[in-house]
Amino acid sequence: MNKKTQKTPDIDEDLAGQYVLGTLSPEERNAFELQLADSVELQKSVNQWQNHFLSITDNLAPIAAPQPLSARIERSLDELEKQPTQTEKITANTFTSFWQNLVLWRGISMACLVLAMVLGFKLQTVEPMLSEPTYIAVLVQPENKTPGWVIQTSHTNQMQLVPLGAVEIPEGKALQFWTKAEGWDAPISLGLVKKGETLNIDINKLPALTENQLFELTIEDEMGSSTGKPTGPITSIGRGISM
Amino acid sequence: MSSSTGFDYEGVLQHCAKGDRHALMQLYEQEASRLLTVVMRILKNRPLSEDVVHDAFIKIWKKADTYHQELGSARGWVYTLTRNLALNALKHTHRQVLAEPDFLLDLCDNQVLASAEQPDNMTELADDHLAQASLQTCLEHLEPERKLCVLHAYVDGYTQQEIATLIDKPLGTVKSWIKRSLNALKECLQ
Repeated sequence: MNKKTQKTPDIDEDLAGQYVLGTLSPEERNAFELQLADSVELQKSVNQWQNHFLSITDNLAPIAAPQPLSARIERSLDELEKQPTQTEKITANTFTSFWQNLVLWRGISMACLVLAMVLGFKLQTVEPMLSEPTYIAVLVQPENKTPGWVIQTSHTNQMQLVPLGAVEIPEGKALQFWTKAEGWDAPISLGLVKKGETLNIDINKLPALTENQLFELTIEDEMGSSTGKPTGPITSIGRGISM
Repeated sequence: MSSSTGFDYEGVLQHCAKGDRHALMQLYEQEASRLLTVVMRILKNRPLSEDVVHDAFIKIWKKADTYHQELGSARGWVYTLTRNLALNALKHTHRQVLAEPDFLLDLCDNQVLASAEQPDNMTELADDHLAQASLQTCLEHLEPERKLCVLHAYVDGYTQQEIATLIDKPLGTVKSWIKRSLNALKECLQ
């Protein structure tokens, strides 16, 4: 514990409350954080003030965290994780949390409803699609969960990525299609998407599709991501389920 | 300190520190929605708030090994980290500063009702049930105008200048009210 905090405990205590309220000026805040880093007592005081005040914000009407947010966090963790041995241990656990994720399942239910409507419509109007889909995913926009794409596979060993509406691709950019199953170290690219076209992928060239497999489209340079990993913003994201 | 909810915030942070990703996802399921609520209230911008909650979980993951029992409330630690990110993100957004005094005061009054009627519901979220109940009591002792200053700062993340403009009082008055309110709360909580 540093000497300064012992000399002026009351003043620091006052600052701890103000720090939690967020009412310190940027300079005071920086100075306080320097002290904070050195003092267990001050950190404890800050956490205690925070815990007290939390009882107020616990009364705010909760906003549901969207499913793509947890997928995004998992993706960022993937990037952080360098050791594959750890990933193996974790896979089973994250898989369990997937089954318990109410928000995700609500999202999937909604997406399936939309999919049923869309497929019903398409079957009547568009060229024959693959019969008897065995595996599907609906990719939604992260911001508003509007379904943008459907992925489906059938016994013909083809996976199709079908746009549900007009696709906007910024000039000089491309949409790149990615997938990542539980336990994979990094996503793999399934190719670039061209405006207004259905992307067909030979699934024999891919590892077996799994439940909960993540699919996403990101905006990348025209020739695709130079790093071989998604770098641009996610335009659509979803997870696959077997039919 | 273990939680009275049965959710072990401290244990989850310790597991995160050991690289157990499942622990972080447990914390996500327990707190993501409330964290997003708190951040949204401050930033009033949904995409930015989601970015902040994302960054918060990554930072929790990276910094979990700096948390230990002596630092007290693990839930407080999680929120301090997240609220700091939200307050920093204010630089990147222009939000509306609104008064909403009834809403803010109700936020506290409702809790009195909620804790009286459903003792196992809202207040059990807190690490220390008794301490939370007493903050409630202590807030009641503040004059409404001063209490509002504290609530604007904590709940809305408003600066003292913004609060001064909002309630049409000199900045010095607001500063002094907040300082004295914190002193009164501290004394009352002891």
